[in-house]
Amino acid sequence: MAEPILKAEGIHTFIGKHHILQGVSFEVHPGKVTVLLGRNGAGKSTTLRTIIGLLSPSQGTILFKNRAIQHMRPYAISRLGIGFVPEDRGIFNLLTVEENFRVAMLQEDEKTRAMMETIFEIFPDLKKFWKSKAGNLSGGQKQMLAIARPLVNRNELLLIDEPSKGLAPIVIDHLIDSINKLKEYTVIILVEQNFYMASNLGNDFYLFDDGKTVHKGQMEELVGDEELKKKYLGISG
Amino acid sequence: MNHKWRSWFPKFAVIAIFLLPILLISPKTYITLTISGLAMGMLLFLVSSGFSLIFGFLSVLNLAHGALFAWGAYIGFSAFSFINKWTGWGGSNSIFSNMLIFLLVLMVAGIGVAILGVVTERLVIRPVYGSHLFQIFITVGAMIVMEELIRIVWGPNDEVMPVPLSFIGSWDIFDVVVSKYPLIVIVIGVILYLIVFTILRRTRLGMIVRAGVENPEMVQVMGHNIYRYFTGVFAAGSALAAIGGGMWATFVKSIHPAMGGEVIVFALIVAIIGGLGSMTGSVVGALMVGLSYNYVAYLIPKAALGITMLLLVVILLIRPTGMFPEGT
Amino acid sequence: MNKESLNPVQRFRLREKEDRFKSPYFFLRLLLLAFFIFTPFLFHSFEILDVVLKIIIFSALVASYDIILGYTGIVSLGHVMYFGIGAYLVGIFVGKLGLISYGYLALAILIAVVISGILSVLIGFFSLRIRAIFFAMITLAFLEFISILASQLRSITGGEDGISFKLPHILAIDYSFGRFLGIEITGRIVSYYLILFICLILFLLMLRFVHSPVGRVLQSIRDNEQRSIALGYRTYLFQVIASSFASCVAAVTGGCFAMWVRYVSPDSSVSVSIMLDVLLMVIVGGMGTIYGGIFGAAFLMITRAFLPKLQILITSLLPGVPIAIRLSERWLFYFGLLFILIVYFFPKGIVGTAQEIFSKRKVE
Repeated sequence: MAEPILKAEGIHTFIGKHHILQGVSFEVHPGKVTVLLGRNGAGKSTTLRTIIGLLSPSQGTILFKNRAIQHMRPYAISRLGIGFVPEDRGIFNLLTVEENFRVAMLQEDEKTRAMMETIFEIFPDLKKFWKSKAGNLSGGQKQMLAIARPLVNRNELLLIDEPSKGLAPIVIDHLIDSINKLKEYTVIILVEQNFYMASNLGNDFYLFDDGKTVHKGQMEELVGDEELKKKYLGISG
Repeated sequence: MNHKWRSWFPKFAVIAIFLLPILLISPKTYITLTISGLAMGMLLFLVSSGFSLIFGFLSVLNLAHGALFAWGAYIGFSAFSFINKWTGWGGSNSIFSNMLIFLLVLMVAGIGVAILGVVTERLVIRPVYGSHLFQIFITVGAMIVMEELIRIVWGPNDEVMPVPLSFIGSWDIFDVVVSKYPLIVIVIGVILYLIVFTILRRTRLGMIVRAGVENPEMVQVMGHNIYRYFTGVFAAGSALAAIGGGMWATFVKSIHPAMGGEVIVFALIVAIIGGLGSMTGSVVGALMVGLSYNYVAYLIPKAALGITMLLLVVILLIRPTGMFPEGT
Repeated sequence: MNKESLNPVQRFRLREKEDRFKSPYFFLRLLLLAFFIFTPFLFHSFEILDVVLKIIIFSALVASYDIILGYTGIVSLGHVMYFGIGAYLVGIFVGKLGLISYGYLALAILIAVVISGILSVLIGFFSLRIRAIFFAMITLAFLEFISILASQLRSITGGEDGISFKLPHILAIDYSFGRFLGIEITGRIVSYYLILFICLILFLLMLRFVHSPVGRVLQSIRDNEQRSIALGYRTYLFQVIASSFASCVAAVTGGCFAMWVRYVSPDSSVSVSIMLDVLLMVIVGGMGTIYGGIFGAAFLMITRAFLPKLQILITSLLPGVPIAIRLSERWLFYFGLLFILIVYFFPKGIVGTAQEIFSKRKVE
């Protein structure tokens, strides 16, 4: 088994007085999509926010490429090569698509331009709407923009939080296709409640319950395990 | 409110304010009033734009903004005496040297207060990010300290602000009185607006600031040390207020330590009318307030402030977030 | 109604009521009240009497502001306008219109209360449409507006100079009851007790309000608005009720203040600087503690009265360099610095922080 690109151990995070994460541990390996699953409020989004530094854990360590990042500031963590796509997408509606990308770019050089070409191949709509205000895009397109944006820096790790939220099924399928193509460029940690999406993209999974990681395994196992699905995800069939 | 109404309404409002008074005032007086209204608008823009941008970007309510305005006026005052002593440009008749010293004075005021702004942001504002209530408390304290510091350094009395000779007076063009200084204020104001606008729209820095007004968290996550930008924007906003202060002082020809308090409420109203965080909003709001104030002051002197409040209430009823959304 | 048949909430409230008179705080407060009652006899100086009564009046004003700020969580920067309305109505009735009688005095205050209540409801409706922070700024603008109105409408308000007036009969300065316990009971002393009495009633009313069911809903709104809405409370309605109540109390304190100083003017009755004073008092005393207002008011009034004296003393000891003199003269400067430090280190106010320390100790 290859070295994990990210390793979290014993993470406890508080938001105000609330003890949201009560011992979260997981590993993320290159070449795979790791899915964090669980009910609403189980702590999945909080985990992503802790990794990217928007929240600081009170206990535990997060190692990215063997470097402790749990108390670093978000901009420093981002510069190390971690991209973040939040639940609300975080796109700048008043800026154009082009400007959205330019804010993301840490350098505007050859490599970045080459990456943009790749991005255009995977997400052709973004090229079409390059000069439009991001606010004018459709829901699905905004999601594409949100996911594509961090890639421009050739991030090695991409954190995506519930991308399928609010999207129509046909758009979700399109999204799954696009994210599948990204696998060769970056390692992805995906938080999803939509099991269809999770099972189509994920390789490894971790189940969250009450702020703890309670189960882990390969996606193929989970698909067939009715009991687990019912217990932690509340779904059957 | 759909999109049509959105772009329609501010233009309609501005035009209404510009045109309605023509029905009531003779054309010649109208021109004079319009010029002083535009000048007042420009000054209000300088003070309120800083406040608006700081609120939009840092999400900080800085009640000490008025004190920074006063500091600008006082630094300008001292700079003027100093430079004039060495070069005599202020007392000369040449418009060239007058302009030179005036611009120098404004620059010194701007830079001086920018530094003051950096210090204030680091010491006073940083600890209270995220809580508007505490920002109110602590900036009130900062305002008191800054105002008292003026009294300590310069003394508690009013001072006369010297005006460069060639700025005084007016031209008589076809029976229309066109005061010189307001025109200068308008020109400098427009230039500053264009500078700020260009920076915001065409530079990478401006782009990041505009993005930050919309979503500061995201900007951080994308690799930018937003705290540096915070300090920078705070300093820039303070500098704008300082320049406004210097020009205002020359306008009313006097300065006193409490001048900040008087102006802050106007700046507040303009910023709210225009929409907090929007530069365009500040300009439009400032012009509306400046013009309406001057027209009404001519027609019914006591109602001048009332019209400003009325404007505030009406606009908030139609568009509770102000005329322009954040970040435009 | 026996104990066993009560539900947990009722049992808790009954316990609270019974314990109320046993807590050490209660004795402290009684002591304070006794102090206020005996002040004229303990201190024969008018100046001290003046400071003490101003502390009492402003405590009530700050407490009313605290109901809005600390209990409801609404940030209004215009609260002082109600104070001003109360003051000016007294001034106008008794001063401008010359209606010097108890009846008219009471009427003035009553009308002020009604106006304040209605005004605060209107402003409350306004606040529904805008964000909290806008509301703060707009109320500030409104206060400034009213202040300028007061100075411009000369015919009604006496303009910048204000209105000075006399009070009726036994409240008038020159009235005298004769001597009692070592001092002469003048109209001043009588008005002191009248105002003390009124403020005491106001305090009791406010405490009643805060501990009533309505008050508790307000606290729940402050602590977690979403939850209250989910529980079915029309939070907005409660907030309007609270701010109406608070504004009425503020109006009465304004009337009291006018009665005491027998003078109203824009600067002394309805200016933004009074609002700043209230803010300072709240931060020193703490939010969400009705009694904190007393501490905050005391702190401010006492420093205001005695720091200048201290400053004169220090100035006389220093060399005559202008900046040095000015540095020592501007006590407000140090006050501002102190204030910033207080906000920084005691975000709960001094009383609030003290309460926290004591309650932590109790738990241990």
